[in-house]
Amino acid sequence: MNRKTSIRSAIAVAVIASLSLIGIQPAQAAKIQLKIWTFGNVIQTPLEKEYERLNPTIDLVIKENSMDAHHQSLITAFKANTTPDIAAIEVAYSGFFRSYPKYFQNLSGLVNESDYLDWRWDQGVGNDGKLIGIPTDVGGLQVAYRKDLFAKRGLPTDRVAVGKLWPTWQAFINTGKTYVSKLTAAEKTSCKVKKVCYGFIDNAGTMYPAILNQGTKKYYESNGTLIYNTNANVKTAFTTTATAMNSGISTRINQFTSDWNAGMMKGVFATVLAPAWMLDYIKQQAKSTKGKWDIADLPGGGGNLGGSQLTVPTAAKYPAQAKAFIKWYLNPDMQLRIFKEYGLFPSASKLYNNPQLTGYKDPFFSNAPTGQIYVTGAKQLRPIFEGKNQRAIDNYFGQALAKVAVGKMTASAAWADAVAQISKNIKN
Amino acid sequence: MAGTTERSAAAKKRKPTNVFKSAHPNKPERPKRGKKSEKRLATENGIKALNPKWGYTFVAPFFVMFLIFGLAPVIFSIWIAFYNWDPLGDEQEFYGFTNFTDVLVDENFWIALRNTFSIWFFSTIPQMIMAIGLASILRNPRLKGATFWRTILLVPNITSVLAIAIVFGQLFGRDFGLVNLALTYLGMPAHIDWIAEPLPSHVAIATMITWRWLGYNALIFLAAMLAIPSYLYESADLDGASKWQQFRYITLPQLKNTITFVLIVGTIGGLQVFAEPLTLGGNMSGGDSRQFSTLTLFLYEQAFVNNRWGYAAAIGIFITVIVLIISAINFAITRQIASEDNNK
Repeated sequence: MNRKTSIRSAIAVAVIASLSLIGIQPAQAAKIQLKIWTFGNVIQTPLEKEYERLNPTIDLVIKENSMDAHHQSLITAFKANTTPDIAAIEVAYSGFFRSYPKYFQNLSGLVNESDYLDWRWDQGVGNDGKLIGIPTDVGGLQVAYRKDLFAKRGLPTDRVAVGKLWPTWQAFINTGKTYVSKLTAAEKTSCKVKKVCYGFIDNAGTMYPAILNQGTKKYYESNGTLIYNTNANVKTAFTTTATAMNSGISTRINQFTSDWNAGMMKGVFATVLAPAWMLDYIKQQAKSTKGKWDIADLPGGGGNLGGSQLTVPTAAKYPAQAKAFIKWYLNPDMQLRIFKEYGLFPSASKLYNNPQLTGYKDPFFSNAPTGQIYVTGAKQLRPIFEGKNQRAIDNYFGQALAKVAVGKMTASAAWADAVAQISKNIKN
Repeated sequence: MAGTTERSAAAKKRKPTNVFKSAHPNKPERPKRGKKSEKRLATENGIKALNPKWGYTFVAPFFVMFLIFGLAPVIFSIWIAFYNWDPLGDEQEFYGFTNFTDVLVDENFWIALRNTFSIWFFSTIPQMIMAIGLASILRNPRLKGATFWRTILLVPNITSVLAIAIVFGQLFGRDFGLVNLALTYLGMPAHIDWIAEPLPSHVAIATMITWRWLGYNALIFLAAMLAIPSYLYESADLDGASKWQQFRYITLPQLKNTITFVLIVGTIGGLQVFAEPLTLGGNMSGGDSRQFSTLTLFLYEQAFVNNRWGYAAAIGIFITVIVLIISAINFAITRQIASEDNNK
């Protein structure tokens, strides 16, 4: 008897406990978990929190990865039907994913096409004409330079005068040579004995995508034919970069490494080719250099590096909620806010006449009118077709250039090497 | 000097033969006897009778899991190795043996193979020596806080590879890295570019691997050392053998099987080095001039950067073949050692 009651009470306790568990769970599960996969700083954390406050039923679950790893895990997720509700796709990968529009939902009618920069918009249109992604930011490219270091080497410091130093890339390289020739004796020998290597630009390799993106075509015709070995634009970008590498103006520090962060603080290099999204990184990493930086025009006209689209995969669990978030996050007003708070330059061309954007000045960069500078740059850009395996081809040219940088190969040998590697590895 | 060699030669002559002959007959027999009695006991308790009925049910979970997650992907990867496989496409183009012949003439594959063995060499050999050294320090009964030291040895092993890579990436920085700083203080005139140069980068990666696995292997050696009967050392003491001679003629020979085990495990792990070069270089090609591209990294690059899944699968099959060859060599060596032991 006694034993029976104890068993009964035990069962009762278990039932109550499980009921209360069930009771608690719906309250949590009622929130829709909207999964977003992204990389870098596409989704800003404070804005994520704000959206959750505005929409109490939504819980944004953000998985942030490094750029390549993010896109690679997307491929497997598409294959396994385990996609998130929203996926960011970077411009360099846009050509690849646009080739498979069936994995994405149609986003047409979500926002006003005419509000956005046309060529950035087109990067979100699938090969079959379906709209698969809405553009986030534009990686407008300019030159961030250290005024104090320029003054030390007898170069002008005013941003207009500095821009006039380098109308072309060759002039940019020549300015670099002048700069390097005026380094102190200690700084020069320091590089020879492979201690800290002082230079004009952080890494001359960054010139390659900058020059390439100033053309109208890269590695592919718009019908998908490979032209990387015949397109004069690619060859020009390659040889100019190789020339810069051989002219001793580069510190050869790779971007986003600890050496780069330290070099930025210590003035090891005087210029960085800075897309709009990098300005925030410079501010965070080199706080003590505030006011020493300024921004000048990019040689050879406007430039672009990076930017992405937000997409909703076909297998998304909550497509309606995903679209609602994209609409909120990428509308022109929000893009203006994101620019002012986080420095990501808007792809919403509707804003390009807005005095709030054009009149924006950045105190970190000596009150440079960054808004106006990047607007001018973005307007100069012409649309450029991003092909299917563009990222992979970029890698091979980058590797070939790296061999030039360390003096292992001549420019022409490296070119032949890259073309041979690509023809072997990239079939379409 | 001459005196020492003379003495050690004398010790050599005297000790090993004596000690081994007295030690060995006991060692292999004892476990054998134990096993036999266990077997008999199990049969008597009726477990054997249950086997046909329930045995397969009990082992089924593992085999079902293995079929789904182990065997199926293997068969699938062999299948796609014969295609020009487009990861997201609908139609796949049959390639026959093209992928396999392409791998053999791909210089990048051979570079990756060379790098893999170079990194393996720099990580396994010094690591083994250091692990045995560490283990003999830990074995010392006069060591205070032995459990603490043994525990702390495992900490690197449970640290995330990514965290290790970030820290080591900073240590090995060219301009502001701590390693170069230390080398400068020691009088090195020039900084080493630990990432861009092939050999230094292999050493840097090997250091990461060594740091992570040293403690683990030291514990394995320690366990093996503790299993060496103490009377061997006692009789060696009586014979007047020095500590070094005891180490050389008792500890090392007794560790032979453990060394082989660690070597096999290290080789298999060494052929799969992936995370360290990936995070150190920050890209899939293993550094700008492929200076530390390894086999698995090369496979990954082909699959996920170049989107050539069929080609990557073919590389995977080649890696399997290489592992099989090395395992066979290891197996032969182990058997050789075992038969040598038996002949003694």
